Parts: sequence; C-alpha cells; structure tokens
Amino acid sequence: MIFVMLRVMALGLWRDRAGLVLAFGLPPVVFIVFASVFGAGASGKLDVRAGIVDQAASAQSRRLTTALDRQLGGRLAAYHDAAALKDAVANGRVDAGLTLRGDLGVDPAPATVLIHPGRRAAGEVLTAQVNAVAARALPDVMMQRELQRLSPLLALSRDQLGRLGAAPQPPPAAPFVTEEVLSGGDPIVIYYAGAVSILFLMFSAMQGAMSLIDERRSGMRLRLGLSVGGVAPLLGGRMLWLIGLGVAQALLLFGVATVVYRIPLLQSLGPWLVTATCAAAAAAGIALLLAAACQTREQAQTISTFVILILAAVGGSMAPRFLMPAALQALGWLTPHAWVIEAYQAVLWRRIVDGQVLEAWLALAGFGATGFLAALAIEGRRKL
Amino acid sequence: MPAEAAVVLRVNHASRRYGGRAALDDVSLEIAAGEVYALIGRNGAGKSTLAKAAIGALSLDTGEARVLEGDPARDPAARRAIGVAPQEIALYAHMTVAENLHAFATLAGVRAGRVEAVAEAMEETACADRARQRIDQLSGGWRRRANLAAAIVHRPRLLVLDEPTEGLDAETRLVLRRLIDRLRARGAAILLISHDAEDVAALADRVGVLHAGRLVAEGAPDDLMRRAFGARQALTVRLGSHSPPAAAILGPLGLSADDDGTTWSGLVEDAPARALEVDQALRTASFRVRELTVRPPGIDALIGWAGGDAVP
Repeated sequence: MIFVMLRVMALGLWRDRAGLVLAFGLPPVVFIVFASVFGAGASGKLDVRAGIVDQAASAQSRRLTTALDRQLGGRLAAYHDAAALKDAVANGRVDAGLTLRGDLGVDPAPATVLIHPGRRAAGEVLTAQVNAVAARALPDVMMQRELQRLSPLLALSRDQLGRLGAAPQPPPAAPFVTEEVLSGGDPIVIYYAGAVSILFLMFSAMQGAMSLIDERRSGMRLRLGLSVGGVAPLLGGRMLWLIGLGVAQALLLFGVATVVYRIPLLQSLGPWLVTATCAAAAAAGIALLLAAACQTREQAQTISTFVILILAAVGGSMAPRFLMPAALQALGWLTPHAWVIEAYQAVLWRRIVDGQVLEAWLALAGFGATGFLAALAIEGRRKL
Repeated sequence: MPAEAAVVLRVNHASRRYGGRAALDDVSLEIAAGEVYALIGRNGAGKSTLAKAAIGALSLDTGEARVLEGDPARDPAARRAIGVAPQEIALYAHMTVAENLHAFATLAGVRAGRVEAVAEAMEETACADRARQRIDQLSGGWRRRANLAAAIVHRPRLLVLDEPTEGLDAETRLVLRRLIDRLRARGAAILLISHDAEDVAALADRVGVLHAGRLVAEGAPDDLMRRAFGARQALTVRLGSHSPPAAAILGPLGLSADDDGTTWSGLVEDAPARALEVDQALRTASFRVRELTVRPPGIDALIGWAGGDAVP
C-alpha cells in the first residue's frame, strides 16, 4: 500500500513538467546565484570597481595606474579631476576612488583612497590592492621611499646614497606574509548549499503534500478511506516519497556545488547522506502537517508560503546566520534550517561527525516524526 | 424487508446533527444481498450523509452502521466489502485508467489476481479501450465509466453509487444499468443515490425517501407510488399560447398553470379518459393544444408527497 502511494506520487511528478523544473532545475540555479554573491566575497574575490585621478601625471604614477588596472581586471575608470571622482564614488558609479598626487617616491602621502560610508569593505579592498600593486610594480619607488625614511638613522654618506640611486631596478621586496590555502570546501558555498537546499525542500515537500487536500476535495478521500490499511499507509507512502524526493533534490544541488565549487562531497558521502535524509524528513513532516491541518488548497498555499518564508528568514536560508543578532541566532534553532546548515557545514567543511552533528540529526528527525505523527492524528480523526 | 441472513448493510437508529440541524434523525434501513436500494430526497435531505455514515466515513452521534455485521470505520474486512463511486470523479487525473484501477485494487486489499480483476472491471464498464489513456485526457462519460470501474475492481459486496448517471450519454447510461443488473444478479447489495426517475424506476427494488434527515417512506417503487397517488396519473396540457379563459376548463380538473400560463398539469384519476375529454373541450372552445400527455407521477412528486407537500 505504501508502494502504491509512492507510485502515485512519482507518476504525478514525472508527468508534471513544471513541477520537475521547480523541483530539480530551480534549486541549483538559485544556489549558484547565492554562492557566487556570498562565496566570492568570503573568499576575497570581490570585484571592486574603482576610479582614479592621476594628478601626479608622472612616469611612476602611469606605471602604478597600468598595474592597478591589470590587477582589477580592467575595472579601473580614469577621471579628469578630484570632484568628478568624488561624485562617482558618492553616486555609486564606482565602489571606491584613488587620487595620486605629487612625487610618488618623495611625497609623504601621494595616494588617497576615497571611501563611501556604505562601502567600507570596497575601500579597504582597494587600499590593500594599491599597496600590493605598488610593492610589486614600483619596487624602485618603494625603495626610494624607504631610503628617505631610513637615511637619517643609517647616516649614509652622500657617496653611498648616490650609488644606491644609480643602482639598476631593485627586485621586489621579500614578502613578510606568504599565503597557504588549505584544502576543504568553501564554508560559505557549503552554507548556501545547505540553506538553499532546505528552502527548496520545504517548497517541494509542500507541493507534494498538498495532494492530500486535492484528494479531499475531489471525493477521492471517500474512496481512499475504504483502503484496508486505513490512513497510515497513505500518509506513510507520501512521507517516504517526499523524503526520497528531498534526497534526490539535495544530491543534485550538492552535485552542482561539487562540480562548480569543488566542495568535498565524495569524501563525506555517508554523513552527507544521513544529513540529507534527516533534512528531507523534517521538510516532509512539516509539509504533511500543514496540508493535514488546512481545509483548502488556497488556505494551505497562503499559510505554507508564510511559514516557509519565516522559517527560511529566521533559520538562515536568506542571510548568513553569523550576521544575525544573537537573539535571532538563538531563535533559529527552532527551525530545521539552522540545524540543516550546521550539520552540512560540520560534515562537509569541518569533516567531523561529533555530538553537535548527532544533535542536528536528532533534531531534524524529530521535526519529521512530530510532523508526520501530528498529520496522522489529524487525518485519522478527520471524517467527511 | 430482506431476510436476516442476507443483510449486507444495516443502519440502526442513525442520528447526526450539524450544529442545530439534524442531518440524520433516527434512520434505520437494511439492504440485502442482490438488492438495489434507491435513496431519494431533496437537496440537503441527508442522502449523502447517510451514505457516508453507512460506509464508516462519518461518525454518528447515536446509532450504528454495519457492513456484513462489521463496523466499517474500524474493521478492515468490512471496508474491503465496500465499493464506492462518488459523484465527483475520484481518480488520479495524471494516471491512466489501468494505473488507477491497479492502485485502487491494491489499496482495497486485492493481492492475487489483481491483473485479472482490473481487466474484468474494465470489461464490465466497457472502458478497456481507454485503459492506457490518462483520466485528464478522457471525456466526461469515459471518466464516469472509469470511476465506476474503480468502485467494483475489488468485487465489493456493497456498492454505493452517488448520482451515477448524472450528465451521462445514453450509451454510458445503458452500460451502467446493465452493470447494476449483473452485480445484483451476483448478489451485490447496491445503495443508489439518484435524482433520476428513470434510473430509480428501472433499477430499484426498494426506495427510501429522506426528508430533513428522516426516512419518511420506504418500499418497492410500485407500492410507494400506489400508496402516494393511488390510480392518479400526471396529466399535462401544453397550449399554443397564454390563454386565461382555458382555466374554466382545466381548473375544475385540478390542473394548475406554470409561470407563463401555457402549460397546465396535475395528478388526476382515470387520466386517459380525462385527457380525451379535455382535448375535445379545448378544441371545441377553439384553443390550440400543442401537447397532451399522460404519464405516471415522477420521483419529484413522490419526494414531494413523502415530504408532506399537498398532492392534488
């Protein structure tokens, strides 16, 4: 009997092209958009658009401008005067601005970065880029500035200073900091894979669960009510179908994340599968409960949209939980979303299955079981 | 009343109230194996409520419903004995006829011989030609046949049919009547809810009339008609135009005019002889008679009589 319901639900989705696209096409697209926006920011690949005014108009300032433009991937716009640049920053035509003036090797502060108060991060990124480019592309200028700073301390003779000034182009200074990028998935990409996954699991589960209401409305419930197994297999079959659908949906989404962002899905496949199953069970349980509690499809549509969006907002599907106030983060634990996101991050980023992960699995299974049992109680008591 | 041993459905003193309104008020009835029981009544009289109560889909305030002596709300064996064809098409629209029948056969507990049972149900309802078509691609008549096939696929002992012929073409109506005859011959008990006088007259062994939740009359159709109307029959006269002076001829016979004043009707004794007299009188008075019919009183008249309406 459970198999009959599985088949009914599977055929329903298979023969509903729009439903298929909603279930399997849309989630990876939305995930890629979220991951591109937030993942790039977190990994330091911010695409800053900058403006520059070269008041120095020297060979050195032209070398710096050329190198910076290359560093920013061509997103450096030249302005004729400081007022025009200021206006461009103020109106958002560029994210930050740079003014070069005086002799770069001698002037105490030859470069000024203009920062909009709403885009401080962009300004800081541009400052860092200018420093890095100057050290790499203008080593002679940097050395000249260092000599100027240190010569009073070193008490170099005129002859020594003359020889240093006549030296060929010096090599770039040895870096103080070297970077080592560790292996492992991008936490923000994993975060959004989990966040988008649970959001669409809820939508898909609700769509599937609403067949309960359609059956009631079409008189089907009268006929199904006569099935020898009663209500339990009818709901159980639906629950299993929604779990299977949810796992397939998550597999597709995380598969895309693996291919595009190289998250380590295969290395943690077992714990991932348990997390995906528990997440799908939570979504299915909540969806069945909502469908059982609502009288009409219209009512279910309105209530479920409200519930799903609130859960997503509080649970961290829309904005990262670590950006939320502490009270909202605490409230998030009442949603399956927060548990799903934490569990995926633990098993795919930190690659551990500890007490916290087990707790998340239990919480998700609890959401699923509670929703299913409540739906069973409501449907069992419902008379026509 | 059917013999005790052959009773398939037994409803005892069933009552159910919705707020202050009695949907069912102390209703008792029995349907025996091989019997077609037609339940008639006005809209809201309680027909569908009684049908739902009979199959355990509605809890009663007092009283009980038993199918083969089992409580259909709790006893799977009793539920397995019931087939129901609701007024709506209760099938999965995205599935084919055969897929639906397989699904409902399984849900009804058919294990061995499911393929044969599905084939037989399609054969019985003459919808085998459409076995591989999806329900949402079928016309209304074919959907009705499939709806009926799903009700009989597990060979139920009690079949509940809610307005089975509503909106049906003549061919499908014939298929349905033949099917009911065959099921009756095989010993199935059939509860037929219908507004269709022809269906009731052609199919029912007994008729129960519900009025405001009460079973106010019950019996064989001919017996009920005799009790209600004696030898009176419905006489209808349709005139060529609105003619108030015709009232002088038709009024004394007990006929009354409809809203536009061209059609006069009523129940009269010795209707054929009266019809001839009326025809002659009207023609003598130069009224143009377009139609003059004599027929037995219909279900509507019976429902009206059972509900206490004045019968002329």
